[in-house]
Amino acid sequence: MADDSHEPEDDIEPEGADDGSSAEAGGNGPGGSRSAFEGGVDTSQRRVERLTNYGIAAAAVALLAGVLVGLVSPTYLLFLVSLAGMYALLSLGLNVQWGYAGLINFSVAAFFGLGAYVPALLSASGSPLPWDVSPIAGLFVAVAATVVLALAIGIPTLSLREDYLAIASLGLAEVLRLVVRNQQSWTNGTNGIGGIPLFFEGVPVLGTFASDVGTVDLGIYTLGYQFWNGLLNFAIVAGFVVVSYVVLRRVHRSPWGRVLRTIRSDEDLAEALGKNTYAFRMQAFVLGSVVAMLAGVYYSYSNYFITPGIFDPIFTFYAWIAVILGGSGSNRGALFGGVVIVAIVEGSRGLGVGASWRLFAVGALIIAVMRFRPQGVLPPRKELIWPGAHRGGETDE
Amino acid sequence: MSEPAAARSEEPEEAGDAVLRTENLRKTFGGLTATDDVTMEVERGTITGMIGPNGAGKSTFFNLVSGFYEPDGGSVVVNGEETTGMDPHEVTEHGLVRTFQTPRKLEGMTVREAMLVGPQRQLGESVIPLFTQPDAVAAEERQNLQRAEELLERFEITHLADQPATDISGGQLKLVELARAMLAEPDLLLLDEPVAGVNPTLANKLKAIIRELHEDGITFLIIEHDMGFIMDLADPIVVLNQGAVLMEGSPDEVKNDDRVVEAYLGGGGGD
Repeated sequence: MADDSHEPEDDIEPEGADDGSSAEAGGNGPGGSRSAFEGGVDTSQRRVERLTNYGIAAAAVALLAGVLVGLVSPTYLLFLVSLAGMYALLSLGLNVQWGYAGLINFSVAAFFGLGAYVPALLSASGSPLPWDVSPIAGLFVAVAATVVLALAIGIPTLSLREDYLAIASLGLAEVLRLVVRNQQSWTNGTNGIGGIPLFFEGVPVLGTFASDVGTVDLGIYTLGYQFWNGLLNFAIVAGFVVVSYVVLRRVHRSPWGRVLRTIRSDEDLAEALGKNTYAFRMQAFVLGSVVAMLAGVYYSYSNYFITPGIFDPIFTFYAWIAVILGGSGSNRGALFGGVVIVAIVEGSRGLGVGASWRLFAVGALIIAVMRFRPQGVLPPRKELIWPGAHRGGETDE
Repeated sequence: MSEPAAARSEEPEEAGDAVLRTENLRKTFGGLTATDDVTMEVERGTITGMIGPNGAGKSTFFNLVSGFYEPDGGSVVVNGEETTGMDPHEVTEHGLVRTFQTPRKLEGMTVREAMLVGPQRQLGESVIPLFTQPDAVAAEERQNLQRAEELLERFEITHLADQPATDISGGQLKLVELARAMLAEPDLLLLDEPVAGVNPTLANKLKAIIRELHEDGITFLIIEHDMGFIMDLADPIVVLNQGAVLMEGSPDEVKNDDRVVEAYLGGGGGD
């Protein structure tokens, strides 16, 4: 295979430049059949990463070219990228639960829906509830509501064995969906909630940004209110994704993340080593739920109108597909998975492919991944140790 | 050096200090009584062996004292504090750490990383300090890493540090497990068949390491079927049979006891 001598070092480890590389050289040599993150397979991992990078770059170039020749409007491009961010939030959240801690959570859609409904109920003009809270305050209420719901689902289910958690979480998510559909007086039921304000409403400058800028004429396109508003929405979801990603990256490679990975691998062992696995699972469940909920907040403020369809289990399954495709336990894999989901959902729509074929394509993709690359496209890195901790070890060696 | 009694007398603790004490410990599974009235003590500073024919209740006993099973009756006292009915992690906090008969593998981790799960009460195991005191977390991690590397060196398995934890042999895994358990700084270490399926060279190495750790002040309770190994290493030895303590004594006493011979031959399960 290709010589990878100039490939950038896979991971943090500044540690033992000499010691580590000699061990790796051994693995990279003839014994290419060793498992997991042994050197030999590292090479193929790097190849996949390179291909993934090329693929993403090619897609980006194609989209930009589409914009330049007038096939894709900049407003639609912004919408697409924002949508990718939304799915990425769902998959990043689920990745904390399944990828880190091994929790089979089928209630992602419940938190997606909650993230959309709580701010809408609190701040929309079409809300049946009397309050009129500012949208940004609505976000914080949504976080609090998510913690409460996550605890309510987690307390009875997280002490169950994994397969029971799957069923129980799916059931509870369906219960929530049905309550929202049927509890007319609180939620407007299937009529949904309209008149959701913009996220930045009432905020100086940003609140009126989209209408203040006016129209900019670029020749093939005229960038008007829609575009500027799309830009704000993009900024919101990008902010959510960046903050979530930075937070998750840090917790993933911390001792906390290590305990979760131990639990995923062998819960008894974690207990025997003095880890309160119930508490750790609960923390992972709550944290992941908050991240997934943010996707709903974005959805709510960018759509102005929501219906109980947002609680549909399909969102749970999209998140699962994204995580499995990207590589369970890998944050960048979850990001990548989110992008692929949007490519499938919107791409098939753009090509005029029907919904049934779309689901077929998703199913075929999952089978192909499980068959040829069960660890996902971008599996987690081989060793996760708190950054900076290696410095001591280095001087040692 | 192999005299546990010598080490025991060096221990400054008061005489007869039990690091583990069980009274009338009982566990039934449906109609089957796995452990029936086990009353025993592990004296601080000893290497206590536990033998008995298959089905004698040894593993059940381990699961009971380490919190994996809830006893149907009786009590467990670790380091002078009652731990009956506690969760395994709480028992570990009281100073009792166990290993498993089948070594547990940690998927997706290197040996170095798997070792770092051992240390107790890590600051970085809480989410908030990761953001409020990252330097303290790094300092702690650095220290743990250093301890882990020291132990790997002591156990002569430094070369395994970069290996995936799923890729090493069963015997090596036993060494890693023991090393990791040491990072938890236990008072009492429960080893469930430490040399089962381990080659003789590695078994001797394990024996030497256990002795060394014992001299450092760790108390051991070891289940083992390999009679040569346990008779050489442990004193006293507790014999379980049919869920109860048959006898306790020095290796010589156990070897020459008719009831023990009877239990192994009559029980039909000896190996």
